[in-house]
Amino acid sequence: VVGGACAADALPSLTHAAEGSGISTLRTTLPYPRIKLASIGQLTTGHEHLSTYPDQASPVVLIKLGRPVVNGVGPDRDIVAYSRRCSHMGGTLSFRPDSATFHCPLHYAMFDAQKGGLLIIGQATDNLPQLELEIDAAGDVFAVGIRGLLYGRQANVLA
Amino acid sequence: MSSIYHGEDRVPVPPADAQQFTTVCSYCIVGCGYKVYKWPLGKEGGPLPHQNALRADYRTQQPEQAGTWISPAMHSVVTERNGRRFNIVVLPDKDCVVNKGNHSIRGGTHGDVLYAPDRPTADRLTHPLMYRGHSRLPTTWGDAIELGARVIKATLDTWGPDAIAMKCFDHGGGGGGFENNWAVGSFFFTGIGTKMASIHNRPAYNSEVFASADAGIAALPSAYLDAELADTIVLVGANSYETQSIYFLEHMLPNLGGGTLSLKQQQLPGEPHARGRMIIVDPRRTSTVAVAEAHAGKDNVLHLQINNGTDIALLNALSRLIHDQGWHDQDFITRRTNNFAAFQQANLSQSLDEAVRLTGISIARMMQAAEWIAKPKAATARRRTLFLYEKGLIWGLKNYENVASIVDLALLTGNLGKPGTGCGRLGGHQEGYSRPAYPGQRPPVNVDEVAVKGGASKVFWVAGCNPVGGTLNAQQFRAALARRTALVNQALDAAGSGSLDDKVAAVMTALDKGGLFLIVQDIYPIETAQYAHLVLPAAQWGEMNLTSINGERRLRLYQQFMDAPGVAEPDWKIMARMAQRLESAYRAEGNAEMATRFSGFTWTHDEEVFRAAAAGVKGAQEDYGDTTYAMLQALGTNGVQTPVREMKTGMPVGTTRLHMDEKQFTFIPSAWPGFPPQIQALMDDPRYPFWVNNGRANHGWQSLYDDARKPYVIGREPLPHVEIHPQDARRLDIANGDLIELFNPYGSVTAMAVVTDSNAPGHVYMLFEHPKGWLNSLTTDYVDPATTIPYYKGTKAGIRTVGTMPGLTEELTFVPTNQA
Repeated sequence: VVGGACAADALPSLTHAAEGSGISTLRTTLPYPRIKLASIGQLTTGHEHLSTYPDQASPVVLIKLGRPVVNGVGPDRDIVAYSRRCSHMGGTLSFRPDSATFHCPLHYAMFDAQKGGLLIIGQATDNLPQLELEIDAAGDVFAVGIRGLLYGRQANVLA
Repeated sequence: MSSIYHGEDRVPVPPADAQQFTTVCSYCIVGCGYKVYKWPLGKEGGPLPHQNALRADYRTQQPEQAGTWISPAMHSVVTERNGRRFNIVVLPDKDCVVNKGNHSIRGGTHGDVLYAPDRPTADRLTHPLMYRGHSRLPTTWGDAIELGARVIKATLDTWGPDAIAMKCFDHGGGGGGFENNWAVGSFFFTGIGTKMASIHNRPAYNSEVFASADAGIAALPSAYLDAELADTIVLVGANSYETQSIYFLEHMLPNLGGGTLSLKQQQLPGEPHARGRMIIVDPRRTSTVAVAEAHAGKDNVLHLQINNGTDIALLNALSRLIHDQGWHDQDFITRRTNNFAAFQQANLSQSLDEAVRLTGISIARMMQAAEWIAKPKAATARRRTLFLYEKGLIWGLKNYENVASIVDLALLTGNLGKPGTGCGRLGGHQEGYSRPAYPGQRPPVNVDEVAVKGGASKVFWVAGCNPVGGTLNAQQFRAALARRTALVNQALDAAGSGSLDDKVAAVMTALDKGGLFLIVQDIYPIETAQYAHLVLPAAQWGEMNLTSINGERRLRLYQQFMDAPGVAEPDWKIMARMAQRLESAYRAEGNAEMATRFSGFTWTHDEEVFRAAAAGVKGAQEDYGDTTYAMLQALGTNGVQTPVREMKTGMPVGTTRLHMDEKQFTFIPSAWPGFPPQIQALMDDPRYPFWVNNGRANHGWQSLYDDARKPYVIGREPLPHVEIHPQDARRLDIANGDLIELFNPYGSVTAMAVVTDSNAPGHVYMLFEHPKGWLNSLTTDYVDPATTIPYYKGTKAGIRTVGTMPGLTEELTFVPTNQA
């Protein structure tokens, strides 16, 4: 039902717990490539722009959602990109634009594209891995990293 | 910015020489198999198959469902008692027939809850704590046991066994198991001899399925295989996608999708087969309904959206419709049952009009359910229907008749002892029950009312449960606990500088004046421990060897793979410490009879307790006979299904499915009983217009005792949620994420609103247990007089809005969960 970070005052005795496990910023030593996924002009609200990152064996999807969202980039803070492999057991996700949700055909996990890939319900134990994006002056959207471990990998960047 | 997430982008893989253990999930009844890998910190396996223990090639992307992917939640770094640090990975076992490598969000997060001093589990209880001057301070086992033993003995000698009350786990899986249950039972029943005993957060020492036992049916008669073979699966009061997730996903759904057709043809030749159908009885449109429909098609799923508390009327109406159509199994009834006439008089006389009015379900839908359950699929082939029920029925209006009415329906339709059939509970915890006989009678005494609120007991020992939130009518329970334990606090404060003798004398004076001495034995400083005088640190799953069975009676060894924190010990050892101290005290004063009652706790290792506990399961569905740890170790995560029938070449031979013999069953008459006065009073009072239904959610296990230490879980459920219909939300000006208060004469609780049409207007659904809001503050004190099982699932309340919690809604998702 619910997901997302908790308000500090909602969880007084437990927030120390969350702080210890490095959950708010990307900390990595992996050599992520910087790869252009699209230019802003190519993106139509609600339409999936399919690509791969950080290599061709990892399908990803870039979407302009048309409203500001958690971790959204771009002038409207509405552009996000995610792995298309379910973070439960790797099923290939489908996207439903009306609810901005990802759905897994294997075990029916659902993820919220507006909330950083938060699990809505299902057996995954983490968010849908979300791409770190940068937009340059020319309006090109680059993937520069991934928050969360891609299904089926020991490290996001293969050895 | 930023939502909550694990965030790691790599995990270490176990090296080829990592230590390996087998275990089973510490949580739900399904009991998925897991493998544990352990290796020293600072070492890591390589990406080539020969460089890692999983023999996987991590230079390439692993295919979907490979069984070789380690998620960040499955990994942890632990510190053992000698200070050495180890990596640990808890990975679902693809060779286990229960889960085939699959896992739920609960089992898939074991890495997060292993004790680690630099993770949220750092607040595990590491040492005994004793009340001293308004706080609870660490002490030695010797000091804690000495005070406890002195108070228990003085109480026992002064007021007798019933002055000692207990509320204790009785389950398998994490923290439980045959070993710990046997030791607890030996202490309280053989040693103390108290009937003021109660199980989990319930008020009494009862089976939840007395009616099934009276009918002659074991609680867990079927195998998961039966869900693959059934023509129809009936789920009553169970949200299996969320609470028996892997049973549902790996065994039920494949049948609904047609994936087990060849298995059916192979195992059950000579009759027509089709994909399975599912009937779901639930007041809420759950994710289970949505997922079943998505997988099987809406035509193969029937959701009967029942009004709260009216299961008996529905199930009896189904029995009546089936009998009226002549779809009952006359041969089975004649050959294998008795007491049909009483059933006919009580159940089959259910008025159909009344059933429609009470349940809110149309006669057409009832008729469709009757067809799916019992209309023969060919002239010579009856439908195979598997009836599975859980808390929605067990904790419904009237436990005994609720369970009886589904058992009767199964008997009427001949659905026992054959492949693809059965009638049993789905289960919550795994099972690991083995104890000497309970000294009380049936119905068992209501310990909450008599011993705690009523003052009949002076010492209260709570182990592995959290009744201040989990028991019925919890607000009144908390009030009594606070009042009575405070009397002991004051006495101890006054005697603070005195000797142990002074303290014991002070406690006894306080107990005489209505005080309560509270011992809490747990793994965490739970809310109930806030009232305790002694807090005893227990070991958890993975920190001791234990054995349990799952929902198809699959017995396995859960291996120890790490130390317990500090000086924490398995429950069986704690009980043995206390028993040995009491034995020596009685021996010292020459009381041989009492000393003997506390003798026999001389076990030095876990398998001795396991073997002793075999005496407590003889002849039961759990009977494991002469099985040893070595045999179970050899059988790995598949274990053996109890009862063990014989030993063949030194290994146990088990039982796939029960009741295949010609044993007789008994119909248990169970007419619609009407609502009890406590509920009727709420129904008649316009100040409490909302029915409050409740249950668990996919992401959380039980009281959330572990989940509160899993940032990804508690971050997503920082407050308990309440589902409220959009019509009601509009009228009360409630939006997603608003804090609302639910109240009735029994108590009040705050929770976070989720606006969804999963319930009918006028009905809300609240998460059952959460440390920041206990639903049970609203439940009445009503219990079924026949079984002392509460009507947890139904109460009524008023709702008022409190306001908006800043920062809460932005990061949470409010997408409905029942739209697969």
